[in-house]
Amino acid sequence: MSLLLCRQEHVKRPYFMELMGVHLYSSQELSYVIFNHPALVLDDFVDERLLTFLREELDKGFLALKLERWLKSGENPDEALMIILQECDYYSMAEVGRFRQMAAALRKKHPADFMRTKADELFSLRQYGRAVEIYRKLLEYPESEQVDAQFMGRVLHNLGSCYARMFQLDKAFEAYENSYRKNQQDVVLEKLYDLSQIDERLVLGEELQDEITEKKQEIWKQRLKKAREKAKESRQVKELEGLFRQDTVKRQAGEAEQIYKWKTEYRNMA
Amino acid sequence: MDGLLVGVDLCDEYTHINCPEEEKLWTIPTVICRNKNADEWYVGEEAYAHTLMGDGIIVDKLLNLALRDGTATLGGVRYGGKELLLLFLERILKLPAREYQKEELGQLVIAVKRLDPKLSRMLRELVMRLGIAKEQVQIISHSEGFIYYTLSQKKEIWNNTVGMFDLSEVGLRYYEMKVQRGMKKVTVVAEYEDLEEGIDLNVLKKPSGGHLADRILTSCAERMMAHKAYSAVFLTGKGFLNQDWAAGLMKYLCSRRKVYIEQGVFARGAACRAQEGAKDNASFTCICDGRLKTTVSMNVLHRGQETNVTVAAAGDCWYDRVSVIDVIPDHQNSVDFIVTSLDSRKKKLISIPLEGFPKRPDRTTRVQIQVVFLDERTMEVTLRDRGFGELFPASNVQIRQEVML
Repeated sequence: MSLLLCRQEHVKRPYFMELMGVHLYSSQELSYVIFNHPALVLDDFVDERLLTFLREELDKGFLALKLERWLKSGENPDEALMIILQECDYYSMAEVGRFRQMAAALRKKHPADFMRTKADELFSLRQYGRAVEIYRKLLEYPESEQVDAQFMGRVLHNLGSCYARMFQLDKAFEAYENSYRKNQQDVVLEKLYDLSQIDERLVLGEELQDEITEKKQEIWKQRLKKAREKAKESRQVKELEGLFRQDTVKRQAGEAEQIYKWKTEYRNMA
Repeated sequence: MDGLLVGVDLCDEYTHINCPEEEKLWTIPTVICRNKNADEWYVGEEAYAHTLMGDGIIVDKLLNLALRDGTATLGGVRYGGKELLLLFLERILKLPAREYQKEELGQLVIAVKRLDPKLSRMLRELVMRLGIAKEQVQIISHSEGFIYYTLSQKKEIWNNTVGMFDLSEVGLRYYEMKVQRGMKKVTVVAEYEDLEEGIDLNVLKKPSGGHLADRILTSCAERMMAHKAYSAVFLTGKGFLNQDWAAGLMKYLCSRRKVYIEQGVFARGAACRAQEGAKDNASFTCICDGRLKTTVSMNVLHRGQETNVTVAAAGDCWYDRVSVIDVIPDHQNSVDFIVTSLDSRKKKLISIPLEGFPKRPDRTTRVQIQVVFLDERTMEVTLRDRGFGELFPASNVQIRQEVML
């Protein structure tokens, strides 16, 4: 239990963390991103743009110089991240040690597995557009011991989920179909069924329909119904309903605000 | 420092001016007069003279008038109290400049009877309107002026308790000062008490009145000074310009004590303070009216080490002290302050829970702590949720709490 004292950092031009779609305003935020999302920062994160941010905005010229020299020395570039964590004083030495182990574990992964971890990380951060790019690249990987049908099935499933969250339902349907062909998982089939119920243009092929027993269909139907009811009762829907009950002026202002919010959110994720 | 150093004791009745290491003391009644026929202004005795001649209209109690945003109509024109005080200050500051032939001002220290934020702010604003920079001005209390004056004397005068009676037209005040030698720094504590036994100075003109006043003051002195070891006692104020009426008091005070009669103690003290310049108590900690008697600090983690950060130190001016610190709680849901009393060295822990702050992962809430003081004994703490950048945006949650020190 303690309070960390924050140094005064008067950042005028924040660092844009492209992969996450966020601006970073302090050394603590920078440390947090590095520590919590190692897969996103292991490759080419420490570059001239970051050094300029450290030097000019965070007033950490000495750290920037140290990193510059480290990168030129040809030593393990991952160590540059530990140097940042140590100098920014947000994590303890024990935590920096833990990060070193995490980074080493990631490096030991097969390149395809590492890429998938990165894409999964982006998916969890709702960066679906960026995750799609990586999943699609993974599909070009030649099959091997590590990159087998099961692996590809999972990649296709996650790709489908990305598309679904971006409301590109036809692409999602196609990805789930391909995923099902690879690993025949019920969870994927259920998603295909759900999509066909949500969008009538998406029709399950005969081959897939044969896989769905009446019992399964009944369970999934119930689940979808419950999900729809739950969505109806959600805070966001209630807020929207409330907005529509307001007078024209307030409603229009609220609509404009809501649409702007959705657009921004969508642009960020796609 | 090349500019002129000036100490001013500004009261409603009189204004004293002194410059460091100079004996000359200007005593000017705090009044201003405007010529009835021309835009000419006079201050002090000159103002009285013009009023008596009948060609001027006088305004007195300028400090009070300015402080309560009052107005006065002179020659058909309504003037604000602040404006009149500004004209007064402008004129009196020319006196030392003319005497020592130094136009440029180095430091100006104004001592006032009772320091409060409104008065301090108003005087600073007025002085800045005279073209004097903020860092060239200090506003201090009479107690602080007393401390600086006493410490400018020989050590034997202040190596024990120092007492002072200030007998003016508005009342009787007793000051007491002690020097405490600590391990790190010398601390000087001064306190005062406004005594109920105020005396109308006009009664001193008659022998019977003087005799009565002597008995009253002697009994006050006996009450205030009993069982204490004094190295010196000062007598100041208009009432002590003549001490013929105070035979009994002098007899009591002068037994085994050094007694000094000095006029302009507060202006002389302010002049000594001006010599210290803009630095805040470099050589000793000053505890008196307008300054904090306790130190407020926090234990924080800095570069992996637990460190104690001072939010406000004993001796800081409470009315212009604003501390802003940003912290990030690590497995902690409160902000804790340590209040250390100067006298007892006792420590008190004050914990303010971060109630209503959004729930976020650990170490992702930046809390801005702002501390201001409402008076010497009351601290106002404001805790604001600053979030964690765009990763965890700030909410509008803030907690404001008054803490008795």
